[in-house]
Amino acid sequence: MKDASSSLEAMSEPALIVKPNKRSALFQSLKRDKWLYLLVAPGLLYFLLFKYLPMWGVLIAFQDYQPFLGFWHSEWVGLDNFKFFFQSPDFLRLFKNTLILSFLNLVLVFPLPIIVALMLNELKNALVKRGIQTLIYVPHFISMVVVTSMTYVFFTTSGGYINEIVKNVTGHTIPFLTDPQWFRPLIIIQTVWQTTGWSTIIILAALTGVNAELYEAAMMDGAGRWRQLWHITLPAIRSTIVILLILKLGHFLDNGFEHIYLMSNSLNRSVADVFDTYVYYIGLTSGQFSFATAVGLFKSIISIILVLGANKLAKKFGEEGLY
Amino acid sequence: MKLMKRALPVVVSSLLVAGITAGCSNNEAASTKSKKGGESDSNKPLDITIMMPSFDQELADENSTVVKKLEEETNTDIHLRWTPNDTYPDKFSITLASGDLPDIMVSASSYVKAAQSGEFWDVGKYIDDYPNLKKLNPIIRQNASINGTLYGIPRIRALGRNGIMIRKDWLDKLGLQEPKTTDDLYKILVAFKNDDPDGNGKDDTYGMTVSQFSGPWDNIQTWFGVPNEWGVEKGKLKPYFEFPEYQEALDYFKKLFDEGLINKDFAAMPPSKWYDDIQNNKAGVIVDVVDSAHRIEKELDKLEFGENSTAEQQEQKTFMTALGGVADPDGKKHYLPTSGFSNLLLIPKPAVKTEAELKRVLKFIDQTNNQENQRLLFHGIEGKQYTLDGNGYVVATTDKTVLKDLQDLNQFQTFIPEDLTIKPQQTPLREKEAEIQKENEKYVVGNPAAGLISETYSRMGAQLDQIIDDARIKYISGQIDKAGLKAAIEQWKSQGGDQVTKEMNQLYSKTKK
Repeated sequence: MKDASSSLEAMSEPALIVKPNKRSALFQSLKRDKWLYLLVAPGLLYFLLFKYLPMWGVLIAFQDYQPFLGFWHSEWVGLDNFKFFFQSPDFLRLFKNTLILSFLNLVLVFPLPIIVALMLNELKNALVKRGIQTLIYVPHFISMVVVTSMTYVFFTTSGGYINEIVKNVTGHTIPFLTDPQWFRPLIIIQTVWQTTGWSTIIILAALTGVNAELYEAAMMDGAGRWRQLWHITLPAIRSTIVILLILKLGHFLDNGFEHIYLMSNSLNRSVADVFDTYVYYIGLTSGQFSFATAVGLFKSIISIILVLGANKLAKKFGEEGLY
Repeated sequence: MKLMKRALPVVVSSLLVAGITAGCSNNEAASTKSKKGGESDSNKPLDITIMMPSFDQELADENSTVVKKLEEETNTDIHLRWTPNDTYPDKFSITLASGDLPDIMVSASSYVKAAQSGEFWDVGKYIDDYPNLKKLNPIIRQNASINGTLYGIPRIRALGRNGIMIRKDWLDKLGLQEPKTTDDLYKILVAFKNDDPDGNGKDDTYGMTVSQFSGPWDNIQTWFGVPNEWGVEKGKLKPYFEFPEYQEALDYFKKLFDEGLINKDFAAMPPSKWYDDIQNNKAGVIVDVVDSAHRIEKELDKLEFGENSTAEQQEQKTFMTALGGVADPDGKKHYLPTSGFSNLLLIPKPAVKTEAELKRVLKFIDQTNNQENQRLLFHGIEGKQYTLDGNGYVVATTDKTVLKDLQDLNQFQTFIPEDLTIKPQQTPLREKEAEIQKENEKYVVGNPAAGLISETYSRMGAQLDQIIDDARIKYISGQIDKAGLKAAIEQWKSQGGDQVTKEMNQLYSKTKK
């Protein structure tokens, strides 16, 4: 695309004989590339209509929004919703639960696709490699509802497969599904199972871009597999990893509403309540749209700070960053 | 050709743009409405627009033979505004905001605010003048009211739907009687666990199956005499969990849990799996809506006699029996009712302007409850949409084009005072279910605060309820003890519960006057 447009520019450049002022230059370039602009128009319109326009909706976070009164007639309440949220007894618990889960997610789940991709990359037999790849992609296509349902079948104390094994070995069952201590491990296991395979795709794509000659040269110099990995492979995909990390940080506080909601129950709610589920309970089941929007907005602000921070940090370390 | 090439991108992109904008400009053509005939000329048919949810694609329209017949019967000119059920709540709010209102609209949950700001007629003042509507069940009437005011005609559903379903063959095998009290039930649950009711020599059965769904607990605690949501003590409302019976019921639950009479993992069991154990010969008791009995029976028939078994084979053995509930240890019966209605038919003031017009619309709704019209709206016209077989049972036609004339018209049926349609062919079990539903109405405990809406509760209710519901589950499964239960109640009070109680009592004393 980039190439095409620059060659197009180059082609039409000689046509501009008169040196135009700035305004007509803009007009000229609009006229020149009108087909391109027309082509991009639907896309732009899409973003304007469905991404930017609805963004004004966040303003209801500063209102006492009533659907019946609508946006224009609802009362403005300033920062009341935020104050109420920060002072509520739930806030600290929610914040803690969200952070712990997000942190575990980052530390345990994020590196796994990289490791798996590197391992796959070392496989010499293409057929085996393809086979494994396909197999580990499969869980990605299974809906979270099904995953949690499967988890129930496997882990329930009344006849679950895993618990039957546990019972045979230790003589008693473990309440995986109801014990608050087991909540986070289960969530992480499910996330790993569902996302690892799919996330290897980008890493594997980056790996194919590594120049094979580098390996040959390294081998000539007597570098073993580990050395090659350390000095060639990892540096080659470093910028990909950094970008992925920054993108991941943008979703740092998203714990996956559906996932948490489906796995939480009366007995593990003390650790399972996170911002995502809270927004649902408050916004949808209690109909406090403004309050829920305020919570969501707070989450988004944290996320944007994290993304900007990470991006800056990446640049400091000489990486490209997102922009 | 060259022109074509140049024109193509323009056409394509403008089509795309058009597609996007079309989605936004889906304006409802404002329907102009003629003046009602009600006051001036009583013989002129009443022009009436009805908005209601639809469940099918092919719906009855204004040329429908059934609608025409109803128009004749009620001297009306009916216009139908169908809205798919999935988007009904949204469309309901939009319609309210648009100002282009029908004469009758089925409510959605968001109607409360609009009703309180005077958007709908207070029909409670008028319904006593109509032969059918005045017989509206008082509990349902209260449930359907908001702070004492009835803003629409409720669409009636069975009030005593809850009950208990038990494996009849297991009872027989162990020589047990149907339970009369909670103690009897306990003994049955113990026997179902320990005495090998399925006779396979294995310890693979247990008593009652429960899930995350709180329904069974709510039901059983009501059997113990716990009030339905709110109880009245010395003329004041008190939340149900502050009554001593609540502790009694919870200890009973705990006993069931500790002795393994219910499934240990119930707190994690998705409600979708709730029926699995009773349909697979593992559990013998379930507490839910009583009409589930015949559905369980069907599954067990399949399990026993195979997928393709005939009705004769299936009749050889009866697996299930059903009861409305059991009595408390003192032998008194109190059961938990279902709300008894599913949304209201609202009459918006901007569309129905005068009292005279309102009375005419109410007369129409009243007329739809005559036996003849109930059957017309539910079954259609005899000889067209259905025929009667030798035993007087309805045989619906399979001709889709004829059925279209009837499709979803039952959505504006209110069934007051009762459902007078022709019953389908009954198995003994189904007959029993119907009997129980009727019998239950004698014992159901009304919620004295039903229809009272506290401002704090509408804001925080979901969270407050969860504190109490979670504490109940935690207590049953031993995660907290009595002190923990007390702490949860204190938490409920301090986080808004006290405020709710105060507001409810204010509303209560107002409606009592």
